[in-house]
Amino acid sequence: MNRVLGALKATYNFFAGDAILLVGVALAFVLAALLGEVAKAPNPVVAVVFVGCIISGLATTLGRELKGRKKP
Amino acid sequence: MTAQLWAVVTASFLASAVEFVEAFTIVLVVGVTINWRSSLAGTFGAIVALAATVAVFGTALVQVVPIDALRLVVGILLVLFGLKWLKKAILRYAGLKALHDEEAIYEEHLAELRAKGEGTSARLNPFGVTTAFKSVLLEGLEVAFIVITFGIQANDTSQTTGILLAALGAAAALVLVVVVGALVRAPLQRVPENTLKFVVGIMLTTFGTFWGGEGLGIAWLGEDLFLLVLVAFYLAVAGALILWLRPYAPAKATPTAQELEQPAQEEVAG
Repeated sequence: MNRVLGALKATYNFFAGDAILLVGVALAFVLAALLGEVAKAPNPVVAVVFVGCIISGLATTLGRELKGRKKP
Repeated sequence: MTAQLWAVVTASFLASAVEFVEAFTIVLVVGVTINWRSSLAGTFGAIVALAATVAVFGTALVQVVPIDALRLVVGILLVLFGLKWLKKAILRYAGLKALHDEEAIYEEHLAELRAKGEGTSARLNPFGVTTAFKSVLLEGLEVAFIVITFGIQANDTSQTTGILLAALGAAAALVLVVVVGALVRAPLQRVPENTLKFVVGIMLTTFGTFWGGEGLGIAWLGEDLFLLVLVAFYLAVAGALILWLRPYAPAKATPTAQELEQPAQEEVAG
């Protein structure tokens, strides 16, 4: 069991290593796929949502680094 | 040679050059920032996989390989890898991350390896191998698609001649890209480590977004030229994020110029 968990953790660390980034990227791909395939949204809308989600993931994980910090 | 066959060679040369530049950029940054052994191992693995695929499927490759699914998978992985690098580089530029924590542990490990006469540059790095492998495989497949489709369209002669000429155009593009790449390799290795890490993060995120988007069915405006727009956009966003974070940096954690100017190969991916 420990080995399985260890392997899972190593895989997660190798590919993502950051839960917020992973969720942001997953959300970007899932939302863009849904918008494009299901809602048949226009191409620019899909592209903007896709890139926007990626940037939001990065900004959110960086924002989390500010937790408990104040401007000196 | 007819005008149509010249057109096949030229079109194949130009289209393949674009794909080779994309693949070579990633091979180059992996070689410079991680090590050349990992970069070349990934590249070699991809070439073997590619040769086997082309040998098995031949011109049927175009119908067999789901290129959009491959773009999607490679895109997801590159975006994840790119954002991970970008996050660390942004934190360091903003002064929120100095050479502490795991970097200090790494430096300690590096010193131990050096004491034993080993160096990280001699070791295969899974991140480096995987990144080079998937990029070369994807771009190589795209070149194979270009050669086959352009070659088949040269319908005033046999398909074999058309494909052969298209392959010659692609080979010329490869030689040109490799020569130019070899010329820029040395200057790249003198670039400060955090600058390289930042650039790699931008590049991987850009290519990941582009390929992932293509896999999702997004038709980028201007096709491959849109890569430049994405690079500019991610640079602007990263700059804005650094400006946002910088006021929160404690005075002592602000990296010194000396810390930021570590040689390019002083740090492994992470």
